[in-house]
Amino acid sequence: MNLISEITFLLRKELTIELRQKYAIGGILLYVFSTIFIIYMSFNRIDKQTWNALFWIVVLFASVNAVAKSFVQESGNRQLYYYMLVNPSAIILSKIIYNVILLLLLSLLSFFAFSVVAENPVRNMGQFLSALFLGSMGLSIAITFVSAIAAKANNSSTLMAILSFPLVIPILLLLIKISSNAMGLMSDTAIRKDILSLLAIDCLLIAMAFVLFPFLWKD
Amino acid sequence: MKKRVLNFLIIMTLFVPSLMAQVERTDFMRSIGKIYVVVAVILTIFTGIILFLIYLDRKISRLEKQIEKNG
Amino acid sequence: MKSSWWKILGVALLLYAFIFGLLMPLKPGIYAVTPDNAITGTTSLIRVEGYNTNFTKEAESIKVWLKLNDTFALMANKIQVIDDMALNASFDIPVQLPIKKRIKNFTLVMDHKVDGASVSPSAVTLTQKADKVDNISPQWTTNPIAGLTIVNKFNFPFRNILYETIRNLYFHVSLWLAMMILFIASVVMSFKHLRSGKPEDDWKSLSLTAAGTLMGFLGLFTGMIWAQYTWGSFWPKNEVKLNMTAVALLIYLAYFVLRGSLENQEQRGRISAVYNIFAFAALIPLLYVVPRLTSSLHPGSGGNSTFGSEDLDNTMRAVFYPAVIGWTLLGVWMGSIMYRAIALKDKILSR
Repeated sequence: MNLISEITFLLRKELTIELRQKYAIGGILLYVFSTIFIIYMSFNRIDKQTWNALFWIVVLFASVNAVAKSFVQESGNRQLYYYMLVNPSAIILSKIIYNVILLLLLSLLSFFAFSVVAENPVRNMGQFLSALFLGSMGLSIAITFVSAIAAKANNSSTLMAILSFPLVIPILLLLIKISSNAMGLMSDTAIRKDILSLLAIDCLLIAMAFVLFPFLWKD
Repeated sequence: MKKRVLNFLIIMTLFVPSLMAQVERTDFMRSIGKIYVVVAVILTIFTGIILFLIYLDRKISRLEKQIEKNG
Repeated sequence: MKSSWWKILGVALLLYAFIFGLLMPLKPGIYAVTPDNAITGTTSLIRVEGYNTNFTKEAESIKVWLKLNDTFALMANKIQVIDDMALNASFDIPVQLPIKKRIKNFTLVMDHKVDGASVSPSAVTLTQKADKVDNISPQWTTNPIAGLTIVNKFNFPFRNILYETIRNLYFHVSLWLAMMILFIASVVMSFKHLRSGKPEDDWKSLSLTAAGTLMGFLGLFTGMIWAQYTWGSFWPKNEVKLNMTAVALLIYLAYFVLRGSLENQEQRGRISAVYNIFAFAALIPLLYVVPRLTSSLHPGSGGNSTFGSEDLDNTMRAVFYPAVIGWTLLGVWMGSIMYRAIALKDKILSR
């Protein structure tokens, strides 16, 4: 099997498992909606700055919840089975692609829910959507890889938080800056450079994950 | 040992706010062209290196004990 | 003894940095100007306090101006030297300011044959109480600022607010660079470990990371002290470099937590090497991309600078780069002792 067919095969497998275990995705959706509902209940009027911060916090925690399980849920035996079947690059790429899509859907959903509950403050939709796209990409790459690391250690969920939060802070800072620019909170002419550097971070992370994952997968 | 650490902490908590309260130009840290800021920075580095030495010292003492026990 | 030449070199470089960094005097400069305001149409006596100045030597060569711009400057008509560090300059200030405004900041410029020229920006505020007179007094233009003396001596630059703390460059800033070099070396060792699988490489990487983290924390604490006396707060709000550094140190603390949570030695080496490399990749945007995008109190980003590369003059460079190498070698030395302790422990345990 070549890499692409392996990836599509693994993606189909991910989707089957996800659909079989409906409670997992349901739990995350419930998490997103209940958080947004709490925000709706506790704020009379959300100003733009708060909107921005709350939105990205919701996305961050949704991504940690959604992506963290990607390696933890699989038992050692099943991993051994995959190891024999496919090559590790296909595994990490398929996981990353799957998680990027999942997280993109989640963040679009939470954006939609936010705009229904609070009003939609975004002026420059193109900028905001590109931030959303690149941001969910970066977040899911970093968190997928960290979850692969944490799966090897015993106390995964605590370790997961400790390892992943510092790593995603630069991405989040860039995201907040771009989206506050898209909302007209600040005007920066060099915002294109920010988007490009976000893209560069994504590429860097995906390259590192691609190179390093085979070493993690060895045992 | 514990008591000494506690005393040190109490003294520090008493001193630090008073140091922070002095913001006038003529206080001790700002005298002579703020040279004492450089002194404080060097002392910090010194303390850090000493702490590292203490850490290594304890580590190596443990190793020595293990050698004695085994050897 | 043969293999420890680099330790001697490191200590020698640090010694050089300490001796020159602490003993080389600052250039003469203006420390204080009192009073900082005056009313036009009066004769006002302004006291200038110098720093490292020698006013009593060749006192007759001292000239003091209040400068508005290149065209308009008012020279003091009488200068009375009190001692080496203080003098009184008396100005006959014309009734009318050479601009439309009633209140204006003036820069104080001083020239001295011995000490050279020095400047104190926005030193004196002149207030025009009287109504407008038609013509601007010729006093503003009769004695233009000219013939400033440039003294070439090996001295560190004198900067307002910073004063002597400019020497912290060799201790705070060079610690940062040393930290980065140690982290890069540690990443190289991690790569080596992944390729070779030797536990020695993993220990080297661990020791270098530990030394780097120590340098990082020292850099953070020294920076906090320096910030308190330069910017007025231990942790300036929205100071991006500071926050990024705190995050970077968190990443490395997470590295140690990860190591602690893995039992099997072979697995620990491999996984922590992978995390080390990945974390370093995530650190590059943290330390170099994000700070450049936002404004910061630190030099080299967002415009505000205490000293940027143009201010780091050659005298400072001559001490700064050796200091960086010295701190790096000291870090490597610390790491190597730690490495030897780890290797010894492994030897004992595997006996």
